[in-house]
Order: sequence, then C-alpha cells, then structure tokens
Amino acid sequence: MSQAAALAAGTSRRRRGRSLWEPSALLFVGPSVLLAVAFLIVPMLGSFFYSTQEVSPLSGETSPVGLENYRTMLGDATFVRALLNTALFTVITVPLSMGLGLALAVLMNSVLPWRRVWRTVVYLPLVISGVSVGLIGTFLYNEVIGVVNKLLLALGASGGVPWQSNGFWAFTSVVLVTLWIRVGFSMIIYLAALQAVPVELYEASALDGANGWQRFRDITVPLVGPATFFLIIMNVIYSFQVFDTIFVLTNGGPGNSTEVLGTWAYKVAFGPTRDQGYGAAIGVVIFVLTLIFTVVQWRTNRTRDEVA
Amino acid sequence: MTLDRRQLLAGGLGLGAAAGLSACSGLTSKAGGSAPSGGASSGGKVELTFVNWSGDAEKAAFDAVIAAFEQANPDITIKTDTVPYASVQTNLDTRFQAGNPPDLFRVSYIDMGQYTSEDVLLDLSASLDANAFEPGLFSAVVANGKPYGVPHQIDTTAIIYRKDAFEAAGLTAPTTLEEAWTWEQFTDAANKLSKVTKSGQSAFIYDWQSAGAYRWLTWLFEAGGALLTPDLKGPAIDSDAGRKTVDFTSGFFKNGWVAKNSSVKSTTYPDGAFISGTVAMAFAGSFLVPGIDEGVKKKFEYAAMPQPRDVAASTDLGGNAVVAPKNGKNTEAAAKFLQYLVSEDAMRTYCRSTNELPTLKSLTSSDLEFAIRPDLMAPFVQQAKTLTPEQVAQVTVPQFADLNLALQSELEKAFLGGRSAADTTAALAEAVQKAVK
Repeated sequence: MSQAAALAAGTSRRRRGRSLWEPSALLFVGPSVLLAVAFLIVPMLGSFFYSTQEVSPLSGETSPVGLENYRTMLGDATFVRALLNTALFTVITVPLSMGLGLALAVLMNSVLPWRRVWRTVVYLPLVISGVSVGLIGTFLYNEVIGVVNKLLLALGASGGVPWQSNGFWAFTSVVLVTLWIRVGFSMIIYLAALQAVPVELYEASALDGANGWQRFRDITVPLVGPATFFLIIMNVIYSFQVFDTIFVLTNGGPGNSTEVLGTWAYKVAFGPTRDQGYGAAIGVVIFVLTLIFTVVQWRTNRTRDEVA
Repeated sequence: MTLDRRQLLAGGLGLGAAAGLSACSGLTSKAGGSAPSGGASSGGKVELTFVNWSGDAEKAAFDAVIAAFEQANPDITIKTDTVPYASVQTNLDTRFQAGNPPDLFRVSYIDMGQYTSEDVLLDLSASLDANAFEPGLFSAVVANGKPYGVPHQIDTTAIIYRKDAFEAAGLTAPTTLEEAWTWEQFTDAANKLSKVTKSGQSAFIYDWQSAGAYRWLTWLFEAGGALLTPDLKGPAIDSDAGRKTVDFTSGFFKNGWVAKNSSVKSTTYPDGAFISGTVAMAFAGSFLVPGIDEGVKKKFEYAAMPQPRDVAASTDLGGNAVVAPKNGKNTEAAAKFLQYLVSEDAMRTYCRSTNELPTLKSLTSSDLEFAIRPDLMAPFVQQAKTLTPEQVAQVTVPQFADLNLALQSELEKAFLGGRSAADTTAALAEAVQKAVK
C-alpha cells in the first residue's frame, strides 16, 4: 500500500519535475524506431541520394549527375503518361471507393440481416495480397478465356469486351479490381466512425421532421468528417503508390495505357535497362507529390476537425 | 503431384541420411588416403554456386550433368540456385553489387553484352577450342576477340501446328526449309485457318511476348532488312524492308489472325495458348516442346514445320551461355565445370532431354535422338542454320536490352495502337540511335 503510494507520488513528482522523460521508454520505442530507421528512413534517404547519381547495375558504383535524372523525366513520354495515369487513377478510385465504402457502412450499420457475413465478404479482398488479387483479375478479365467475357457472351452480348487490348477497357478493369480491394477498407473505417455518432441526434432530428437524406447529409457526413480526412489521405497515398495489382493485371499495357508511376519506376530500375538512378528519381517524385497533397490536406482540414 | 506432410518428412529424413552417408564416405576415403589428389586450386573441397532459371526438363538435365561432373571431380560440388527467369537479372545484380557473385550463372545470348561491356566475366580463352563450335553461335559469347562464357545451347523458333485444323482448312504443311511457305502462302494459310477456327480461337500465336520482342526481327531478317548498320553504330530499321515488315506483322492483328491479347507486352504465351487449344499454329521455341507434349497429352495431334520465308529464311537467336565472374573465389573449378558443360557427352545429355539444340559442330552434324517427340525436331534443327554471324552480331550488342525494350514499346503501338509502318520505323530508328550512341 505504502509502496503503491510512493510509486504514485514518484510518478507524479517526475511528471511535474522532469517532463515525461522515462529511460525505460527507450526500450519500448527502440524496436519500432530501429525498424523504421532501417527500412524506411535509410532507404528513403538512399533514394534521394541515388536520384542524383548514375548507378552502374553490376558494380553498384555511383557517379554524380546532378539533376540529370530529373531532366530525363521531362523528355520521357512514358513518364508523363504514367504521371497522368496515376492522377486519373487517383481521381477516380479515391472518391468512388470512399463513396461506396460510406454507403456500405451505412447499410451495415442498419438492421441488415447477416451483417457480419456481409462485412467479412466486403473486407476480405483487403486481406488477400495485391499480387493474388491481380492474378484473380487476370482470370476474370482475360479477353479470350476470361470469366467476365464468357459471362457477357452467355448473357447474349454480341462480342467480348477488349479488356486487354484496348487502353480504356484495360484501365477500367484496373479501376474495378482496385475498388473491389479498397471499398472494404473505407467501409470498416466509416463503420467505426458511425458507431460513435450518437443515436439521439438522429432521433431529435427525426422529431424535427428531417427526412432520411437530410439526416445523412447534415448529421452523418459532418460527424464522420475525421474518418473522411483520414481516408482521403490513406487512399490518395495508396493510389499514388499503386503497384502490385497493376503490375500483375496489365503490366502497364496495352501500350502505356495503364502505366503508373510505381510500375514505371520499377521497370526503369529493375527492368532490362536497369537504370536505378532514374528509377530512384521517379520514386522521389511519388514521395514529393504525396507529401504536398498530405500537407495541403492537413492544413485545410485542421479547423474543420476541431469543429467536428 | 502433391506431397503430404508425412512424405515431406520422410523425404527430408532420406536426404538427411544421404547427406550423412556422403559425409561419412568422405571421411573414410580421406582416412584411407585414397582420395584423388586435388584438382581444385585449394586442394580441399570446393562448393560452386550456379544461378540459373530452368523449366522442369532443364532442371532435370542440369542435375544429371552436374551429378556426372561431381562423380568425375569428387572435390567439387555444385549447388544450383534456380530462380524465375523474370527475376534472374535483379538477382544477379544484387549479388554483384554486394560483391558476392555466384561462381557460375546462366545468361541469354542477348544479355551477354551487358556483362562483357562491364568486364566482369572470366576469360575462357585457355579452356575453350573455338573451332569445336558452330562459328555463328560461338560469336555470341565473344567480346574483343575473347570468349567470356560457354555457348551452352540454342533454341530457335519453328511452327508447331494442329493437324486437325490443317485438315479442316485443306492445308499441307511444308517439311523442309526449301519448301517453307512464302509470306503470300502464309497469308493464304492464315486466312483459311481463320475461317475454320471458332470464337475464342485464332489462326496462330507468335512468340514475341515477355522479353521476346526481339523475335520480331526474324520477320525483318526474312524481308532482307536489318536493325543496325553493319558497323553496329546506327539504325538501319527505317527502310523499305522495315516498313514492309511492320505492315505485314501489324496485319496479324488487323486481320484477326492472332488474338489481340497476344501482343508484345502481353502475358499470354504460345505454349499455354497451344495447350489450351486456342490456336491452330504456335511459333514456339524447341525448349517448349517437353512442356507442350506433357500439356497436350493426347487431346489432339500436332507436328512441326519451318517458319515462312520471304527474301530469305531466318529465325531468332534463342539460347543461353553459362559464364563465370572473373573475380570469383573458385575460378579454376568454375572453368573446369564450364569446360565439362560443353563437352560432347554433357551437351548431348543436356540437349537430348530438353529438346534444345547443341552448339558443338560434332553434335549439330549428327542425329541427336531427342528424348521427347524427336519427330518434331527436324524443322528446328534446320531453322537454326539460317542464322548468319552478322545477324548474331546485331542481337548481342551491349545495348541490346535497350533495343529490345524499344522494339517492345514501339511495336505495341503499331500492333494495338494502329500506328502506321512509316511512323513506327521512324520511331524505332530514333530509339535505336539513342540506345547505341
């Protein structure tokens, strides 16, 4: 008893006196910090360094080339196409996956029977690796022997959709597969946010005569604001860094119509040309774009968060 | 064939026991003093690492050749590290960058230039007799007059076709190079086959997917064209022959002779398409024959015929060298193995069971008795002889990886994007210029 009191007194004294410093904290954060430094910070700094170098693929020797790799980018038509594709991909997938996610969350939060089963079904694709999802996509969207085209033909369509040989349809297949993966994530986050919305608010507004749409627009949407903020940032980062699904599903083709920054950086650095310096420079571009977006989002949303 | 846990355990125990036994025999033989006097530099046991990619038949053949070598050289053991073809280059780059390259590795002829230009390979002048090999093929491993690897095998493309489809279309297949179809006859045949194929099937598939875009050069060479100027320093593609070839090959897609998803960037491969019965003809390398034989089983009958010809007959330089890095720890033992790998016995063993073609003169002139469907192999063997040293030189320049990539992205635009032949050859010429400058 006295010991506990002494301990309590000790901690409170320490808190008041020497801020929050506690040596054992090092033990707790140490492993995570070590891992983050080894696998995030060092490679990231490495990318910055390599992006200003020409790297010999065999010896690994580097020679400084200044901003040459960045200049190459400006004249690289595939890079420009990949940048536009990434932007388009982000603009399409982020709102769609979040909108669908919110709609599903509202549905799952209601009196839907077998809710847990549905929830698992929607969330499941996220648990599977992106490569496997891409492979499943190739079975679905193969234009000769794929399930989707066979189904369309069975339903009486005159011909299959050129999922692999037409740029527009290839892009569509990538978007559809991505939505399939990503909707579950938005749904789970929104579901958690929805459960924190007090039921009384809905009851009160119902008494005041608000209809379903008004309640959704004026209560649900503002109150899940922090979740929306979080999801926008996560989804934009995810979209900007998309790699595995596209790499497996279309490998950037046909032509360059589904090439994104992630796949192009990989191909440049580890493909036959093995230009690791240029690949690193593309990686840095992905980093900078994501950073700018996150900072802008953070700034503009801060005030609204406090209100919410 | 799936293994259950018990079988795996039993296998593991068996292996363990075998390892134990061999260790014992090693000890006893040493103790008895009957060990052969050291052939390797250090005198003790040497373990070599051999990085390669291989299909099932190739893996088995490598294992057999290695076992024979180890028996003859008890102080050298070879550990193979089989990696997927798609990642072999990254794997090797990483090992080189870490300063720890494998003692031996397999390299496509078209990738040889990447290593010789960096001067990282062991010079094998002392252990190889250039005259023993077919001259056109030996030149694939030579840089600055010295051989930097052994030309282990080649594989060339010929056509594998379904007999039922040919019967239905009223076609007779040529059997020799002299009888090979002209481009006009090929056009006629493809049109006839298109009429007898059902929805979801197509007349043929060409093997230019994956890193195979360079196989398009076969058509260019047939038309009498070239990718590079004779000094290998500039583009020669923007020519009448170049434009004619782009026009003709784009026609495969326009006329619906090939599936749209079998273009140069596609992941649909000829062996898979042929086995699944979606094509009447497949342009395929002989190394695919064992897999096709196993996949088709007896679903339909098929045979092989030579590729069509225009001004000339041609084919692609498929196949691989095996090399050793010059800074390896056991270069002497590695050179010994390479020498053995291209000995007549080892090459015969390997080529017979993989349906790949030999590079030794003594074997190319004899009947090799291939293990699987030997009746299919004549067109491949004949086709291999159409490669000229000048053509080999074009596809083994150090920048060939860039050229191959340029072919892939520019041809895709012509095949699926409908870009004109003139624009395509102009773009290719520009890309070639940039790559070889």
